[in-house]
Amino acid sequence: MTQPKGFKSANRRYLQAFWPLMSMYVVTVVVTSSFIDMETAGASVRIGSAAATTLPLAGVLWVMLRLIAETDEYTRLRQLTAMARGGAITAALATFVGFLQIYGAIEGFPVFLLGPFFFLAYGFSYGAACLGKRD
Amino acid sequence: MKNIIRALRAERGWSQQDLADKLDVSRQSVNAIETGRYDPSLPLAFAIARLFGRSLEELFDDGPSVAEAAE
Repeated sequence: MTQPKGFKSANRRYLQAFWPLMSMYVVTVVVTSSFIDMETAGASVRIGSAAATTLPLAGVLWVMLRLIAETDEYTRLRQLTAMARGGAITAALATFVGFLQIYGAIEGFPVFLLGPFFFLAYGFSYGAACLGKRD
Repeated sequence: MKNIIRALRAERGWSQQDLADKLDVSRQSVNAIETGRYDPSLPLAFAIARLFGRSLEELFDDGPSVAEAAE
């Protein structure tokens, strides 16, 4: 298990891994959406493209969790609290959308949007906590 | 929990960021501890005590004990 390393070195390790992974994500999104015709591509190309785009993002999630494990205790508490709030808001939204679909009010909601929504809710929760505590 | 960290820091002319750098924590951590919004873990509390050359009892005050409160 990752051990706490302190605020500065944890942040440095996070940024060293975050930017290459995020750049890989952007490049794979651009390449797969611009240079591959998904309508005519075979199943293996579609699955491969989806995996290639997902892997860097999974890496970003992993370095986020590593940052939380390695950073100082107060930052860890704040990050985990914001993540829990973001997760709760996202779960509530997913439930609402699920019932809307069951009751026939909407159809075909893209599940893909829940990921970005989680990060939005997580970010807002973290920002609101910072503002509320006047850190 | 009340503490005298802000006063000790001010005595030395350190900013919150200076103290945060010495403890390898975020400036927000120092602010939260100084204002009593966050109680540090024992390892961090000992690190603060060592840095200021004080005991934990001198740094932190958890208010009257149960026995004292009952009197």
